[in-house]
Amino acid sequence: MIKLAETKGIKAVPLKDMRKLKKLMKACERDGGKDQIKKLYVNDWNRDYKKARRMASWTSTHAMCVFVSFGYYFVGKVLATTPSS
Amino acid sequence: MKSQIYVLIILILPLCNDIVNGQPKLSIDMGVGFYEPTLTGFNENQTVQFPTKKFTNTNLLLNWGLYYEFFNNARIGYNSFTSYALGKSITLINSEAVFRRSLSYRIFPIETFFRWKPNMELNFTLAPIWGRGRIELDTTPGDKTDDWNYFINSFGGSPDPVSDMGATDVMKTDWFGYSSMLGFRYYVNSRIGVDVKGGFMNNSYKEENWRIQRQKVTGPKMKIDDLPIFSIKVVYGIR
Repeated sequence: MIKLAETKGIKAVPLKDMRKLKKLMKACERDGGKDQIKKLYVNDWNRDYKKARRMASWTSTHAMCVFVSFGYYFVGKVLATTPSS
Repeated sequence: MKSQIYVLIILILPLCNDIVNGQPKLSIDMGVGFYEPTLTGFNENQTVQFPTKKFTNTNLLLNWGLYYEFFNNARIGYNSFTSYALGKSITLINSEAVFRRSLSYRIFPIETFFRWKPNMELNFTLAPIWGRGRIELDTTPGDKTDDWNYFINSFGGSPDPVSDMGATDVMKTDWFGYSSMLGFRYYVNSRIGVDVKGGFMNNSYKEENWRIQRQKVTGPKMKIDDLPIFSIKVVYGIR
């Protein structure tokens, strides 16, 4: 489990196994692996940052849809006129 | 009581923080939102004197949410924006009623994001809304007291012991809508972040769709479609 956390990140460990992972990490720290565990967290933070620096796959399309609807609404608020009767 | 629970949770959360962790997969958030609905049915009501329009009972929304990051750049979740109003002595025909109103905008967002710096994030939210309006009245119907006295008298003891009784009834309505928001999040540390969002929501509210005890009734006129909305919240990563 620690190997998985090291290679793919802490978030790769399923939520149901998180308690077990925490226990393992604490045991590892007690056995002198404090620096290794600290590095695990720092690496995880950096890995997340690197992965989320740019949008991947469909997420950019989603973001564009949000941006367009947001723009359409607020530009409409400014420019739209009330139709005369 | 509800707000006291929120304060307690906010105070306890930083104490739960242990060591530096990776950015969270599962997070909860709490904060406030601001919007400007036109509640004509309450504020311009000629028959019943509702509580005076104030920022706290009209424009302020209490917000909480729960998110799960299912992809590098995306999370789904549940978010609830609720506006509350309370009136203590609303004069009706037979009683001085206690009035409570809540408008809940229950949002099911899909949020995509990217980080341009390790602790700064831009996020984009598109969400369907399931809204609910709720009006609760505590009234004191006379016939209820009579019925209870009749019932209690059957056991003996002093006659007609009950002089005043209250009854609470609720009228509700549901509607659907959608929302779109752009946001900025700053992670104070790996678990706690501050999230500011701005956007709009559109609600298809109809005043004819209220119901009370399974009977369809007409509710107050409200203009809650086409509304700009802003929110600020504290995000706490559980794990």
